[in-house]
Amino acid sequence: MGVTKEDVEAAITSALSPSHLVVTDTSGGCGASYEIEVVSEKFEGKRLLERHRMVNTALAPHMAEIHAVSIKKALTPAQAQPEPEPAADKPQA
Amino acid sequence: MASSTAAALRVAFPPLSAPAAAASSFSSSTTLRFPLHRAPRPLAVAAFKKLSEASPLPIPPEPTQPLVEEDALPPKPGVYGVYDAAGELQFVGISRNVRASLEGHRRKVPADLCASVKVAVADEETPDRTVLTNAWKSWMEEHIESTGKAPPGNVAGNYTWVSAPQRPPDLRLTPGRHVQLAVPLEQLIDRLVKENKVVAFIKGSRSAPQCGFSQRVVGILEAHGVDFVTVDVLDEEHNHGLRDTLKTYSNWPTFPQVFVGGELVGGCDIVSSMAEKGELSALFQK
Repeated sequence: MGVTKEDVEAAITSALSPSHLVVTDTSGGCGASYEIEVVSEKFEGKRLLERHRMVNTALAPHMAEIHAVSIKKALTPAQAQPEPEPAADKPQA
Repeated sequence: MASSTAAALRVAFPPLSAPAAAASSFSSSTTLRFPLHRAPRPLAVAAFKKLSEASPLPIPPEPTQPLVEEDALPPKPGVYGVYDAAGELQFVGISRNVRASLEGHRRKVPADLCASVKVAVADEETPDRTVLTNAWKSWMEEHIESTGKAPPGNVAGNYTWVSAPQRPPDLRLTPGRHVQLAVPLEQLIDRLVKENKVVAFIKGSRSAPQCGFSQRVVGILEAHGVDFVTVDVLDEEHNHGLRDTLKTYSNWPTFPQVFVGGELVGGCDIVSSMAEKGELSALFQK
């Protein structure tokens, strides 16, 4: 396998120093497809498009071997704050 | 009673000589296709004969045979109901020229479905669209109340009487590979995204996207009722080199790519997440 979950996490951590990061391998083991959730202060004042670009840039060295990256969330700490609490104790409707 | 009957209707509103408008509204999830938001004008409806009051006029089976004379079936705006040979109401329509619409139907629809017609012509020469719509609505309600069902031709998705909505074709950047381009591809892209308010560069055609992400983006845009154009980045004949050039132009590595007002909004992830948060509608209202 070319790129591991840890490689992806390390690349994003060093570029964006996220306060929250979830990398999910959705490839079924071959390491070619990932889902990513990032919360980082560096996203402050950036549009969603620019945030995605920052993540893509961070992953650029690995992209040759990764087939698909899906960025599920790219939030600032302020945006992430109100969300998780109610979502955690309420069952999904 | 009108509201409960209306709620029970699952009918397609006949386009009134405006196929483009019908096409753009087609993707909305509503199956009721008349303007519910407008207050009904009872006076306008009263000006038309009721369905049961109108007398049927025979339609000759051969399209070459002339229709009844213009006194009975005038080239004027109104509402009409077409009956099949067994006397079942097949379709209720409105038109700016009922006679011309009838001529159109009998050319397109099998003759056994077009045996006779009832017509109610508007009093005014150029009635407001609402007036005709209300007349159509009251004929439909009258028929549904007496039979319990809508005429088959008015059921949503039935394209026997009204034609299926046409999707605009995918845009092509060049006439073909054999043509030497006078301007760089980048400039063509630039012009394209600035001349069209919303452009989606997708893999595959609009009607048959060849990638799940492209399909989702097309679905989202259509669900928002957005008037957008598509460009197939896999079309090597007409859009040769587009994938690489576009990636550089937009500084974005993947497809689909959605541009609004000349600026890249994003790919599938961004468009989906904006749609979920309701940010997309705001963007398109600008």
